[in-house]
Amino acid sequence: MRPLIAFITVSAIAVSALPALAQTVDLTKPPVSRDPRPYKLPPVFETKLPNGLTVMLAEDGRFPLVTTQLVFLAGNKRDPKEIPGLAASVASMLMQGTSTRTYQQIAEELDGLGGTLNAATGADALTLDGSVLAENEEKMLDLISDISRNAIFPEKELDLHKQNRKQTMLLQHSQAAYVANEEYRKLIFGDTPYAHVGPTEESIEKLNQKTLADFRDSLLVPNNAYLILVGKLGARAQMLKAITDEFGSWQQKAVPAYTAPKLPESKRQLVLIDRPGSVQADMRLGRVAATYNDPAFFPETVGGIIEGGGPSSRLFLDIREKRGYAYDVHTELSALADGGNFSTVTQVRNEVAADALQGILEHLDRMGKEPVEKQELSDAKSYANGVFLLGMEPQRGLADKLTQIKVMNLPKNYLETYTTRINSVEPDQIESAAKKYLATDTDTIVVVGDASQIEEPLKKIGTFQVIQPEAPKQDPAKPNK
Amino acid sequence: MLCAAATVLAAAESDFHIPFEKYKLQNGMRVVLSRDTAVPVIALYVIYDVGARSEEKGRTGFAHLFEHMMFEGSANIKKGEHFKYVSANGGQMNGSTHPDYTDYFETMPSNKLGLALWLESDRMRSLAITAENLKDQQEAVKQERRLSFDNQPYNTAIVDKWPALVYGNFQSSHSLIGSFEDLEAASVDDVSKFFKTYYAPNNAVLVIAGDFETVEAKKLVEQYFGGIPSQPPPTRLDMTEPVRTAGKSEVVKDQHARVPGLVIGWPAPKRHSDEWYALGMLDSVLTGGESCRMQLDLVKGKQTVIQFEAGLGWPFESFNDFKDPGEYAAFVLYKPNYRAQQIADEIQEEIDRIAKDGVDDKELDRVKAVLRYSKVSGLQSSLGRAKLLGQYELLDGKPEMVDQDFTNLFKVTSAQIQVAAKKYLNKERRDVLVIQPAPPSPPATPPPAASRKEDAK
Repeated sequence: MRPLIAFITVSAIAVSALPALAQTVDLTKPPVSRDPRPYKLPPVFETKLPNGLTVMLAEDGRFPLVTTQLVFLAGNKRDPKEIPGLAASVASMLMQGTSTRTYQQIAEELDGLGGTLNAATGADALTLDGSVLAENEEKMLDLISDISRNAIFPEKELDLHKQNRKQTMLLQHSQAAYVANEEYRKLIFGDTPYAHVGPTEESIEKLNQKTLADFRDSLLVPNNAYLILVGKLGARAQMLKAITDEFGSWQQKAVPAYTAPKLPESKRQLVLIDRPGSVQADMRLGRVAATYNDPAFFPETVGGIIEGGGPSSRLFLDIREKRGYAYDVHTELSALADGGNFSTVTQVRNEVAADALQGILEHLDRMGKEPVEKQELSDAKSYANGVFLLGMEPQRGLADKLTQIKVMNLPKNYLETYTTRINSVEPDQIESAAKKYLATDTDTIVVVGDASQIEEPLKKIGTFQVIQPEAPKQDPAKPNK
Repeated sequence: MLCAAATVLAAAESDFHIPFEKYKLQNGMRVVLSRDTAVPVIALYVIYDVGARSEEKGRTGFAHLFEHMMFEGSANIKKGEHFKYVSANGGQMNGSTHPDYTDYFETMPSNKLGLALWLESDRMRSLAITAENLKDQQEAVKQERRLSFDNQPYNTAIVDKWPALVYGNFQSSHSLIGSFEDLEAASVDDVSKFFKTYYAPNNAVLVIAGDFETVEAKKLVEQYFGGIPSQPPPTRLDMTEPVRTAGKSEVVKDQHARVPGLVIGWPAPKRHSDEWYALGMLDSVLTGGESCRMQLDLVKGKQTVIQFEAGLGWPFESFNDFKDPGEYAAFVLYKPNYRAQQIADEIQEEIDRIAKDGVDDKELDRVKAVLRYSKVSGLQSSLGRAKLLGQYELLDGKPEMVDQDFTNLFKVTSAQIQVAAKKYLNKERRDVLVIQPAPPSPPATPPPAASRKEDAK
């Protein structure tokens, strides 16, 4: 039953009692807070089925929901060189029909369960990510099992996928931020598999039932996968039985080896992509950097927060608040399994493009030259720990973190020790990480904007190679009527 | 499958509700508390009864500009310190401006509740209104407009042209992000007046959701907010729309767009009316979940539409963005080898078919399961709960609508959907804005806001 709603319109007792209390607080100062209430992560049960599928279960009964992630080590980096975007297309096409379910049946069943299921890739993993009303978790497992094992990639759906993927490519290229990131990744990761973020028109043409099935058959196998369930799970024995019923008969097989390539040495590269009519310059600058298992990772994380993490960071306070050049300026530490990249992103109006870039470069370089202040260090640590805690509120937060542990090959106690490791970062560690990963002498800088307005002023920074974006070939799909 | 869905709804309805308590301070500020101690975090949410539809002529974009001013300091919090206090204490914060409300929020570790209340109360009591702060924020907002609208495909047309097309009353028809000219014209006096008129405790709702002790929270709220004086209630501007009998249409060129798009919409019925709920269900049949009609018939079947989004609050966050009057609208991107007219007609055919044949029980049950899921899923975070409770209290005086809205939706019958579709979403009332990709204008000339009337309808 719904709890009774108390409509307490200022009662006599409340009014007489309150003025006395009001005098006890000093409105001119922030209050002193009591100690934080500790938060204990729900215990995670881990086991492995005989076919090599790793299973992780975490009970979180706050909401009548279950999050299910089936994660394969089969991200974009496993795309064959000549077919960038294949992994992502396999992911989308998994949902488009199996030997026993049409697309429509899958869609209707999913909606009827009260759930969502998305299949998508990142650089390192392909993930089937489901969430459903808890009562229907077993049916969700059945759907996920069928999709990951028995997709048939119907010809008709594949044709449509190819047509629409070309249109979404056009759409993505109409956004300056996407164009900047695409070029930046290409420049910093060079010839390695992390260099691409999407397909090309040519690679879309190469998609057929066989290329999709080959990728699926070699990499989407149980011994290359993790099944992670977080939510209102109920009795463990019953849950394990349901999982075994759905996934136990799945045959394991040898997975083609993947050797992480050596990432290229960072070097100064300046590129300006012309976007006529742009009223501002979109910039992304940075370089290959430390990832999780590198001792510099936590210092780099905290340094990145001080520099450009959130609205009290150096860049935000200077470039936006003090100089008014930008609405948004922030740093990003993208930590992948085989290497990270540290970048700074902003969009500034044309007239101040060069000045803003100059200012950003100075800030980034300063961190490698002088120790951060004590106060900003402790503020940044609180921020990192707070964001970590806030991320645990929705059920997905824990599921995503467990996935991250597996995909990035992190220690089992990564979550339990996160706060301690953040807190142990010292100023000299930040300085040396910044010297290595934030200092800009080997940064790649990509600017997307109206070259007629900004090419000249940017010469102050260096000589930018100007790229005219190729006019996309309009490929009028045959009208379907 | 039908039975399974029905069982889920019955079971779920009884076991998932958002508990809350509401009361009022002597100065008229409404307070809603919703306790949940699972994770030691709290969300503080303050929502003011003023939005972009309260702006005056010559001051478009002012409500949003004012929202920026709220982060610039107050009597005891220096410029820039608001951000610092929040992030240095492990929190996150933001504010946002909507057609009919403006909100401010912090999520923090739960031992920082007092700090969050101090920050919010200090700016409600004593905002620092200075020429310097105003100048800075005029620049920041102009930069935000460039980033989020002028340099993006579709968005300028959506924020500037769509309201002008579908609304006749200035309050609703003007650009809610505002023009550069109007933003620059704003004065310190405007800011002071707006603050005094609208940012009073009796024009606000405060919500705390998450891990707190009720007695302590009430005491803190009284200590920090109890002494802020109330103001005369603001005079509400007339939002009445002129009566119109026919839909409107327009075609705009967009130099950043590469894929054609169109917005299609219809003036909506009164909020919380039976017909409004019927349209809400119709929207879910058309655009909700994986198996909705737009997906199965237009993206998959006819293969003309690429992407779509829709809603009673579109292009804003939700149906809670608008008091009355509002518009039901959908935004679709479609394949370039089709004409806008064809796409609009195909969407209309889908609606007309629902109007004629109704929706069978199986499909309705499926739609209810989708809605049920989205309700539970959206309430997982304390900020998600705080926002909805606050919005419903501000807009309707009823936080309990957080549950009740769904209950009312679930009562909608196929016959009601048919009636609403015929009465509201018919071809005669339909508004269409076509957004066509256009090559960029030559350098050194400002991009013309090319626009012409065409037979888009």
